[in-house]
Amino acid sequence: MRIFKNSIIIIICLFFLAFGLSCKSSGPEGYTPYKIGVNLELTGPYANITKTLVMAMEMEVERINEMGGINGHPLELVIEDNGFDLAKVSANMLKFTRDKNILAVVGPFEDNFQATTRDIAEKEQITNIVVCPSNPRVRDLNQKYAFNIAHSDILVSEKLVDLCLARGYKKILVFPGNWPLAMSLAQNFKRLAAGKRIQAIISEETHKPSDIDMTPQLIKMKPVIESENIDAFYASTGGPPGPIICKNMRTLGIKTPILGTHAFGFGFIIGIGGDAVEGVEFPTGKPVVPYQLDENDPIRKTIIDFHERMLVKYKQGAEQISGHGYDIIWLIHDAIKRSKKPVTRSDFRDAFESTKDFKGCTGIYNFSPSDHDGLTKKDMVFVRIQDRKFNRIKLPEFE
Amino acid sequence: MIKQNYIKKIEVYFIIIFLLLPLLFDDIVYNHIMVIAGIYAIAALGLSLFLGYAGQISIGHAAFFGIGGYSMAILSTRFGLPSALSLLAAGLISGLLAFIVGKPILKLREYFLALATIGLVQIFQVFATELTDLTGGVSGIYGIPWFSIFGFEFDTSLKQFYLVWFILYILFVYSRHLIHSKYGKASLAVAFNEDTSKTIGIDPSQVKLNFFVLSAVYAGIGGGLFVSVLTSVSPESFGLNMSVIFVMMVIIGGMGSLFGTITGAVLLTWIINWLGEYQAYSLPFFGIILILFLVFLPEGIFRGIGLRWFDFVRTYADENWRKEIDK
Amino acid sequence: MPFEIFVQLAISGLTTGAIYSLIALGFITIYRASNILNLAQGEFVMLGALCAVFFIEKLGFSYFPAAVTSIFLVSMAGLFLQRAVIHPIRDEPVLILIMVTIGLSIFMSGSAGILFGPSPRSLPPFIDAPSFEIFNSVRINTQSFFVIGATLLLVIILYMVSRYTFIGKAMEAVSTDRLGSDLTGIPGNFIVMLSFGISAGIGAIAGIFITPLFFTQYNSGAILGLKGFSAAVIGGWGKYSGAVLGGLILGVVESVSVGFIPAGYKDAIAFIVLLLILYFKPKGILGSRALEESRK
Repeated sequence: MRIFKNSIIIIICLFFLAFGLSCKSSGPEGYTPYKIGVNLELTGPYANITKTLVMAMEMEVERINEMGGINGHPLELVIEDNGFDLAKVSANMLKFTRDKNILAVVGPFEDNFQATTRDIAEKEQITNIVVCPSNPRVRDLNQKYAFNIAHSDILVSEKLVDLCLARGYKKILVFPGNWPLAMSLAQNFKRLAAGKRIQAIISEETHKPSDIDMTPQLIKMKPVIESENIDAFYASTGGPPGPIICKNMRTLGIKTPILGTHAFGFGFIIGIGGDAVEGVEFPTGKPVVPYQLDENDPIRKTIIDFHERMLVKYKQGAEQISGHGYDIIWLIHDAIKRSKKPVTRSDFRDAFESTKDFKGCTGIYNFSPSDHDGLTKKDMVFVRIQDRKFNRIKLPEFE
Repeated sequence: MIKQNYIKKIEVYFIIIFLLLPLLFDDIVYNHIMVIAGIYAIAALGLSLFLGYAGQISIGHAAFFGIGGYSMAILSTRFGLPSALSLLAAGLISGLLAFIVGKPILKLREYFLALATIGLVQIFQVFATELTDLTGGVSGIYGIPWFSIFGFEFDTSLKQFYLVWFILYILFVYSRHLIHSKYGKASLAVAFNEDTSKTIGIDPSQVKLNFFVLSAVYAGIGGGLFVSVLTSVSPESFGLNMSVIFVMMVIIGGMGSLFGTITGAVLLTWIINWLGEYQAYSLPFFGIILILFLVFLPEGIFRGIGLRWFDFVRTYADENWRKEIDK
Repeated sequence: MPFEIFVQLAISGLTTGAIYSLIALGFITIYRASNILNLAQGEFVMLGALCAVFFIEKLGFSYFPAAVTSIFLVSMAGLFLQRAVIHPIRDEPVLILIMVTIGLSIFMSGSAGILFGPSPRSLPPFIDAPSFEIFNSVRINTQSFFVIGATLLLVIILYMVSRYTFIGKAMEAVSTDRLGSDLTGIPGNFIVMLSFGISAGIGAIAGIFITPLFFTQYNSGAILGLKGFSAAVIGGWGKYSGAVLGGLILGVVESVSVGFIPAGYKDAIAFIVLLLILYFKPKGILGSRALEESRK
């Protein structure tokens, strides 16, 4: 029996040693690819969005490598799922910082996780490129190594105020989701609208991303819509709740026009909403309506080209998130080209920060030490859902 | 006496290995994952007492982990309490809440206890989201300071490694004392059969409540360390998945085995991190791994593999051997 | 709160409640035959809906055949999972059984995410008439009628089956006394397997009926499952009538509560009601044999 127990001890010791060794092993040296770590929620509530993002990034990396890489070096994505788990988010981030060939880390998607990875990025001095940095409290940290690839909530709100001005809406009821992006969209909208003499009432009722039925909240808001003479209803939300709100409203017989956020610009929204989302108007990214952009739009060609390649490869066209994927890869490509050789993490960061007039799918990026968002209001268009399609509406004085 | 010496010897081996491993490899990811594993192990250790020794079911310890985490975050950012004190408070607050909810809940058994504890997690998440003034709502709380004692900051993974495993070791020694004491034996009697335990003068509801509160204190301390290592806290972090992971750690290690629980925590944390490479497949793989463990080794890895090995040897042994083994 | 709003909230709650009832019926079916709680029940709902969407969108089936095929396939999956996973560990402690069904639920939702894609899907309503007004601007969704109707029909069928057919009585016998039922020649294993199949089928039916109202995503099963389980406990665990009543009560309470407190607390209400019921009336509203034994 003693031998048996001793052998168990030895097995356990070996087990720990093996673990230690397995994380020590690193890839072969020699011909070094430029690597990009991807730390995304591939499972969990954002699986749908992150899958598209990864698809677009993989396609573009493949293309760059077919074109001979960057100065001969191939580009490589190292993709890890973080399973919507804070502990895993940070472990993945550290894993990426350890690999010296990884120049930048993309993701995570969830705002709260970004707070942790951005902290690590500052400490370990690695560029962290995030999509949808909506949370003002995260944004206010002004971190040196964090960059954002998406229209910020302020841009969307400004654009939405323009839409209201063009439509002549004076009183708007806002139904916000309870997560940071939705909340800050609602608050920014209220603040900016007040400057233009538009009254926005943010409802006390909120909803969650996982809500499947918003009828109770809407029933409570219905009398407000009727008594306050509300001109338009703003669903400050994202993901499936958007079309569900529209469905529930139409079922309750509320006929008020509905305004949406840029998160309405996805195909599945029409799939879920059906007839209920007809007539919804919102400001959104340009990849949503590739063929309806102005002929002289500087990024029209980029978007259409990307859109057609996506259609060939994945049988699904470009949209905002895949557009972000395109932008991330080509921004990195651009920054590496401009960076000093051999490329180090800090050189890469400096090159990334000095990106000027970069024409991506989402818009024209101009990063500077004080602006890590890079985009402007011009990079958005107004869209209306009609006949189960996204149709661009042109409001000449606000383009 | 011999047995006790033996345990001490294993301990010495392990302490040496553990002290040396991070220095040997000096790898930030290794250290970080071991820190997380250690934190999970603290929570799982408490749960192991509750599941294995009081024989109850709880799929709700993520709630207490979360309460500890939030207490730590709020106390150390809003009130600027020293982190050692906040950590202690985190454990106590979580224990206090467990005491309040424990009384009614522990009257239930089996599925209904499981459901009630699942309900606790859901209720906790809703309140963590809605009490915006206190908890920061969905955005949670950022910039939680590193753990520090007398100005000494645990700001690297290596320092955190030693801190977490030191706390884990203290709790481990305490738990071992507890289960070898009269009290631990009383709890085993409750786990074995509540009705019979009453006949020998044990009050099962009191025993269960005490163990429930104790496990919540452990979870609270774990949660406090968790947020101080990861520097941010939000309601989604403490969902049902986390509860499931804690329970699995206890089951993998073998119900009621304290050392096994720690091994289970380390093993499962590594598995979870290793699964990340499989991208979207990580979720079904995780499910399969859980099912395989439960179907093939429901007694835990040590006891399970031992039993299987024993069966195996017995099947192929000849008569004389078999007799000897059966002895 | 004005009366119309109250009525409207209650009506909307009835629809949600009927859905909880449908899911609760699945839990009860398995429990009545095997004393097992299958926490993967919500995943059958999700699978049923996603299969139907797949047949309609990808294979061009029309509504009815797609629904039938999907219910059949999900039932088969239920049978298979019982045989492969639950059967080998049927004698393990309750905790292991619970964890296995949780593991199953993780596995099923993860695989569905890969098979059917992670994006949320919806089905068109059964008939093309969205909603109508009954009085004073109180409106009802037509799909709600189908959901409530399906729930009532199912509970009547299940009740009849359990009361008047051999299989129903055999299920009861297997769960009450396994040894006794074996001795009388009832094929116990087969009956338990069958109960999983039926329960998976009920889940799939629920999924197909509710998807036109809401949407289904690969991870939407878990919370539906929990609500359904709560409903079954609130109404009286182990009773078909209890499942329906519990579901409807839970739905209405959740919905009406929004009239008094912020909507964010809606999800907590379900579980607070559950804890209160467990504490003050542990047998559930209609009373239950099973719960009496399980509480001391």
